[in-house]
Amino acid sequence: MTGVITWLRDPNPTSRAQARFGQTYMGFLRLRRNHLAMIGLTISVVLVLMSIFAPALAPYDPIAQNLSDRFIPPLSPGHWLGTDDFGRDIWSRILYGSRITLYIVLLVILTAPVAGLIIGTVAGYFGGWTDRVLMRITDIFLAFPKLILALALVAVLGPGMVNAVLAIALTSWPPYARVARAETLTVRSSDYIAAVRLQGAGPVRIIFGHIMPMCLPSVIIRVTLDMAGVILTAAGLGFLGLGVQPPLPEWGLMVSSGRKFLFEQWWVSTMPGLAIFIVSLGFNLLGDGLRDVLDPRSSGK
Amino acid sequence: MALIEVDNLSVTFLTKGHRVRAVDSVSLSVDTRESFGLVGESGSGKSTILRAICGLAPISGGAIRIGGEPVATPRGKAFSRKVQMVFQDPYASLHPRHTIDRTLSEPLAIHGIGDSDRRVMAALADVGLPTGFRFRYPHQLSGGQRQRVAIARALMLEPEILLLDEPTSALDASVQAETLNLLSRLREERGLTFLMVSHDLAVIDHMCDRVLVMQHGRAVEEFPRADLAAGRMKTDYARSLFAASAERMG
Repeated sequence: MTGVITWLRDPNPTSRAQARFGQTYMGFLRLRRNHLAMIGLTISVVLVLMSIFAPALAPYDPIAQNLSDRFIPPLSPGHWLGTDDFGRDIWSRILYGSRITLYIVLLVILTAPVAGLIIGTVAGYFGGWTDRVLMRITDIFLAFPKLILALALVAVLGPGMVNAVLAIALTSWPPYARVARAETLTVRSSDYIAAVRLQGAGPVRIIFGHIMPMCLPSVIIRVTLDMAGVILTAAGLGFLGLGVQPPLPEWGLMVSSGRKFLFEQWWVSTMPGLAIFIVSLGFNLLGDGLRDVLDPRSSGK
Repeated sequence: MALIEVDNLSVTFLTKGHRVRAVDSVSLSVDTRESFGLVGESGSGKSTILRAICGLAPISGGAIRIGGEPVATPRGKAFSRKVQMVFQDPYASLHPRHTIDRTLSEPLAIHGIGDSDRRVMAALADVGLPTGFRFRYPHQLSGGQRQRVAIARALMLEPEILLLDEPTSALDASVQAETLNLLSRLREERGLTFLMVSHDLAVIDHMCDRVLVMQHGRAVEEFPRADLAAGRMKTDYARSLFAASAERMG
């Protein structure tokens, strides 16, 4: 074990692979020093574990109704987070709901920021007409309120979880494109880009290899800040009957279904709301820490 | 034989509606294995000539020939294997998120040259950097070390011509001398042709065989090094520039 660590910490690595592993290890050490980021990481890992082991951890079926057990308050024996208006165990529903949340979050992370990053860097790098056309398209998307546009898209595509994710991704890329374009404009005319152009690099290599690494940190921050919004937009679509369909235990759907009895049976909305809150907080903390790790200039401090 | 020929080159920038003529009909020719200096105060257009040769500044008139052939626009890969440039500020010319290894192997990857492990190590040794620096980031290096990396990068493609844009003006005096000696040594070893820009006549005196003095985008006077050391200039401007840095040349 110590041998591996010395190998990882070698200040003068002898191969590219060793250097890469070493940098990853040092990055992890930097992340570990940031306590808030570790809390965020823990929350994210717990979310992943919850979704994997939901069938083993959940004491009840998340969908089966039991009308004789309606509105059991939290901390009751057998239902420590209480039950909802159909007598379903809220803890079990939250556990299964983590799968849906994780699925939505991952799918949006894999689509919207990537699309925004590509469009923004291409527009910023080429400038001129390319920039004008791409940015006007971005403006058109930005001009509509996000939820309304997502609504229109889901109405066309048909309700369902995948379509809801698609609609969210299609409406949330413009801010990433804007951020990426702004960053691109600041690095485009720098000497290191001129140097690689002088070496004969084509635009694809320059954009993907040299400009995107400079845009990544600000995009990552935006992604983590938007994560809570993504979960809530998905919930909003579910509430309007266009996203995840009942009786699936989606957290946002659970919050909105408890709205009717918020004053008498507060836990029906509050428990999934807390879950959304904790997960969003975790993503935010983790994102903040990741930004520090991804910036090699902050290393060694 | 003239390796670099610049004929009546003009560069005009269009900024906010009005035209700025940065270089106005300047001609020069640099022989193979010669070291040619461009001197002048800030804004005299000397760096712009280098950037125009590389295709980084818009040419509005005149012609540039490398080895007798007019340069293509855009410059293309054949050009990059012939001509490379070292930039003024080593803090800005290295990608902050790429390791030295990545910076040096990138030109090899672009041109599909294999054996990059050995070539990168050899390049580091050539510019006098320990091979342990290979996987560091630019921010972990000093200014002089960074400029060595920038020189190594420029030499990765084994060009004949090196354009040097004030390669030492961002460094402190002791490091300046080391870097200049490194450049002289590499020129000896590899038979390079230098086109060097500086505002410092002491640097030019140390490095260059011939000098062209520029002012306000125009060529003022050209003379060989012997005349520079003896202070034999014809124009008043060249003489005043010489006087200003005479003490440092000692």
